[in-house]
Amino acid sequence: MTKEQFIERLRAGLIGLKAEAIADIVADYEAHFADAAAAGRSEAEVAAALGDPGRLARELKAEAGMKNWESAKTPSAAAGAVLGIIGLGALDILVLLPILGGVVGALIGVFTAAIGIFIAGGVLFAAGPFTPLPGGVAAAMLGGVGIMSGAAALGAFTAVLSVWLVNGLIWYGRLHYRVLKPALEN
Amino acid sequence: MPETIDIQMKKGVLGLCVLAVLARGESYAYEIASRLSDAIGMGEGTIYPLMRRMQTDGLVETYLVESTAGPSRKYYRLTKAGHRALEDQSAEWRGFTDAVDALLDPQPIAPQEA
Repeated sequence: MTKEQFIERLRAGLIGLKAEAIADIVADYEAHFADAAAAGRSEAEVAAALGDPGRLARELKAEAGMKNWESAKTPSAAAGAVLGIIGLGALDILVLLPILGGVVGALIGVFTAAIGIFIAGGVLFAAGPFTPLPGGVAAAMLGGVGIMSGAAALGAFTAVLSVWLVNGLIWYGRLHYRVLKPALEN
Repeated sequence: MPETIDIQMKKGVLGLCVLAVLARGESYAYEIASRLSDAIGMGEGTIYPLMRRMQTDGLVETYLVESTAGPSRKYYRLTKAGHRALEDQSAEWRGFTDAVDALLDPQPIAPQEA
């Protein structure tokens, strides 16, 4: 394999990452080829010593996904990190999907419920004083605030649980990949 | 597969080896890779995902050094957390190898006199 072919395959495997991240990674390997050439090694020799560019790309992509998730705990970063780990073959998608589908569905359900309860609390707080509810104005307003804070707590709890779930998956995938997978593939 | 344990061990200590190499002096990826492939026979390509992982974990940081020929070169150095990780992991490694050495030692352990 020539340097051009190696870089081309690496690039193909990195599609999906930001352009600057790809450029950064490609620059690393180009520097490697340049340093090796300076040491008198042929392109084919270096490409062989580097290993399969497709596999390296999957590993780099998974790493970038996890880094993204560490810097911003957003749903899309979570999806990227988990997909990256799945791409490594470290998590078995067929086993994972039904379980993950159920858990993610439940989390979305609880989160939606929290939003609904929050709105209900808001309505009670705003409209309560003008309706003939027992307990009077103060009870309606305090009750509304109470329900809203309860819903906020539920939402926060769900968010923490989701973050914890994704971290757990990443931890498992990383451990599995680093310790078991390379030994089995080599 | 008799070589499985070999690969598994190397993969496991690779991070520790990179920390040790960088503790001796700041270096760039090609140099680290060739040193490690000479010393423990690892694939050169794995160094790049590993360096990125260590950067994500805050163990190493990078800086650019202007080069007389070609583009500037990316150097790696240990962070404070990297130095700590090296201390912890080498202590762990020594304890582990001492224990294994003791088991591999053909000399039977002398019975303790009470």
